[in-house]
Amino acid sequence: MTGRKVLMNFEVTPSSHTLEAYLARGGYQALAKALRGMKPGEVTQEIVDSGLQGRGGAAFPAGRKWQVIDPHDGQPHYLVANADEGEPGTFKDRWVLEHSPHTLLESMLIASYALGVRHGFIYIRGEFDLPWRRITAAVEEAYAAGWFGENILGTGFACDVFVFRGAGAYVCGEASSLLSSIEGSRGYPRNRPPRLTVKGLFQRPTVVNNVETLSNLAWIIGNGAAAFKEIGTPKSPGTRLISVSGHIARPGVYEVELGYPWAKFLHDECGGVSCNRDLKAVIPGGISSQVLTSRDAKVLTPHDVETMILDHDALWQAGSSLGSGGMIVIADGTCMVSLLRVMLRFYHHESCGQCTPCRDGMGWLHRIIDRILAGQGRPEDIELMYRISKANDGTTICGLGDAAGYATVAMLDRFRDEFDYCIEHKRSKYDGNLECRPSS
Amino acid sequence: MPTIFIDGRPVEADEDQTVMQAARAAGIEIPHFCWHPALSVPGNCRICMVEVEGKGTDIACNMPVKAGMKVFTNSEEVVTHRKAILQLTLLNHPVDCGICDKAGECTLQDYHYRYNGEPSVSIDAKVPATKFHELSDRIVLDNERCILCSRCVRFTREVSGSNGLGIEHRADHSLVRSSEDGAFRNDAYSDNVIDLCPVGALLSRRFLYRSRVWYLESTPSVCPGCERGCSINLWHRREDWKLKSVATRENTRIARVTPLENPAVNGPWICNKGRDLADLFERPRAIEARVDGRTTTLETAVAAARRLIASATRPVALVSSWGSNEELEAFTRHLGSRFTSFVKPDHLPLEGEVVEDGLLIRADKNPNGRRARELFGDPAPAFPPGTGVVLCWGEGFDPALLPAGAKLIVVGSFADDATDRADVLLPVSTQLERDGHYTNFEGVITGFTACLPRPPGVADAEALFGLLAAEGAA
Repeated sequence: MTGRKVLMNFEVTPSSHTLEAYLARGGYQALAKALRGMKPGEVTQEIVDSGLQGRGGAAFPAGRKWQVIDPHDGQPHYLVANADEGEPGTFKDRWVLEHSPHTLLESMLIASYALGVRHGFIYIRGEFDLPWRRITAAVEEAYAAGWFGENILGTGFACDVFVFRGAGAYVCGEASSLLSSIEGSRGYPRNRPPRLTVKGLFQRPTVVNNVETLSNLAWIIGNGAAAFKEIGTPKSPGTRLISVSGHIARPGVYEVELGYPWAKFLHDECGGVSCNRDLKAVIPGGISSQVLTSRDAKVLTPHDVETMILDHDALWQAGSSLGSGGMIVIADGTCMVSLLRVMLRFYHHESCGQCTPCRDGMGWLHRIIDRILAGQGRPEDIELMYRISKANDGTTICGLGDAAGYATVAMLDRFRDEFDYCIEHKRSKYDGNLECRPSS
Repeated sequence: MPTIFIDGRPVEADEDQTVMQAARAAGIEIPHFCWHPALSVPGNCRICMVEVEGKGTDIACNMPVKAGMKVFTNSEEVVTHRKAILQLTLLNHPVDCGICDKAGECTLQDYHYRYNGEPSVSIDAKVPATKFHELSDRIVLDNERCILCSRCVRFTREVSGSNGLGIEHRADHSLVRSSEDGAFRNDAYSDNVIDLCPVGALLSRRFLYRSRVWYLESTPSVCPGCERGCSINLWHRREDWKLKSVATRENTRIARVTPLENPAVNGPWICNKGRDLADLFERPRAIEARVDGRTTTLETAVAAARRLIASATRPVALVSSWGSNEELEAFTRHLGSRFTSFVKPDHLPLEGEVVEDGLLIRADKNPNGRRARELFGDPAPAFPPGTGVVLCWGEGFDPALLPAGAKLIVVGSFADDATDRADVLLPVSTQLERDGHYTNFEGVITGFTACLPRPPGVADAEALFGLLAAEGAA
């Protein structure tokens, strides 16, 4: 077990996602508690007190984002659940949408109550099929049972929710381009200022939260902020859904209490590296978080005494982040140059093309890495890749451009020898291998 | 009014201004591609990075001013950023300035020389794209030169309202394309995107490969296409680049027409009709004076006209609504009392032309109707019985309407049915060959200047009216 549970606290069965099952395990009681016994400001305060951090990647305190909204300023406010889970390696929101959609809906109702939201949106990525069917079915169930619409629970509170399907663009997972997409325009990120909490969807104050972030609310309101703070570490309370993939024996979505030892998680819970290989590196939170070598992360052996803990602060100190919770495990014998090529192909393909550094920089990086792997690399190409990555740092409209640069720099920093080898010998040190093969 | 400091210099700014606006108002240039004073702020070119003390770098075009902020437009970090961005902007740009119409007035070219000046560090192939994409029969698009600043797209959305352009695909294979409904082809203001384009991606097919821009110079003028009277620049061959032997016709042509920014009239835009002014002026001219169908000298024709006017009963004048303020006043001064005068429209809307819209185009297709009507009133032309002479000034008169027995004097620049039928034809100069002013429909007076030589044997109407009245006319 990976510590205490907030979301995965029930047994998944073929019907555990239904409203009936959700009510049977105490669902929608937190909503009743909030609507009947709390003022909107008290709900927000509870979230602030809980110390809940965003689970989408930046780990920004959710309550502080909410506090910018004044529910009584007389204009419409919008709440958007970001279910456009596109970060490679990440598939944890999918678990919530498939197995516990009502947790999200109840939490969105609570948030809507706190923020004065009449209309909420769930922006779900277009490639999701089962999650989309599950969440739309859940919305229908909830409407039929009177959890949405007018006069919810006889309290006079009214709220509607819309499920909006994206069209498969990575950039639409970025909050502002997600809003543009809902508005019907091209999914281009917007410049800040103004922040979305000031002028967001349809130019109105908007809170965009990740699905997992929102889904925590029902538990927090139901059990209280103090109970939530007891879980996890003082600076990072709660749990994280972590989707583990790559060269690992038991990939999947795990709920991990923050502060859990990383080595124990990888080697015991996830069964360790597959194919009897040693662990080479880990990308902790989706490919846009910086890669860590197993030595840096101190997760090489199952019981590394000094292992890092899974916690936002610990990973920031190590020069990476828990990001979106998409953990990619990389076994020995993997070619990091090829891996970077896969990443850069993705960034090039998914760059929205709006601002210059990312639009032209990602294509350039992609062409350079292709050339290096084709045996035509030059020693100065490494320096050039650093330069292009740094030209993205802080110069792009949205955070995805910067993140692509950080990820590239981390790969170059930590596996420089492989890049040098590939350029010098005109071939990859590991034959461009990305598969996990048993060591001979 | 908050005071901010740009490169140490105190600058007064308005509360709702951005650093870019405040800097421009103070005459400090911050480089920019995508930003345009009349369009929204997309912040996509990233070249306008400035450093704010204590806050790092960000784009000036989207940075609200804050009292006391210290902005640096040339700090080391800014200069480094700018160079890096310019390298990226030029990465997939073909740098085919040698065959690009924009060369010489290209923002990218200017900024490269001013802020970067280094050769490309890339050895990788550039991304190929469409080199000659027909956006409409007026405009071609070179996607390789395009830096995706989105000015043209925003123009069709925010100004012309046709929503005719958009961007397809993503990343460095993004392409500007027109919408499927063909709205861009019908956009009466589409040519403005050519001027808006900071590089040579959007090109006028009219002007395509016609001339290098440094062979040309511009003369401020007024568009005579409608009563809006937009301020324009007429581009024609510079004196020192005049062609000596080949294609000398180019020396006296209007090579292109661009808007001249005038907040009181047209802002920074003009319509497509204005771009085609050369066609209006290149129609067959009336340059020879004629009396009774025989070519003669101007002096003889003036004397013949003067005799007709002096002896005629009930002479009627059809006054041009294309005459300048000065000419209209000269006519009033010298001939006003002798004639019963009516204002006539020189031009009516052509078939297929936008008659009127909410932006610039007005229904009256003559530039000085307002001043003419102020002087001569607004009744429709009518010929009282016994009209002996009709003096027709300008175009648009159907000679079939001439009363029986009346003589026709035409004061005109272009050959038409009336000049063919005229008993006396007095050729006068066009707007391109003289100075003057028009009063537009809102009463704004704008001047134009001669830019081409007056053909020999052609008079200026202002002087001509004095001659017609010189003796015995009263």
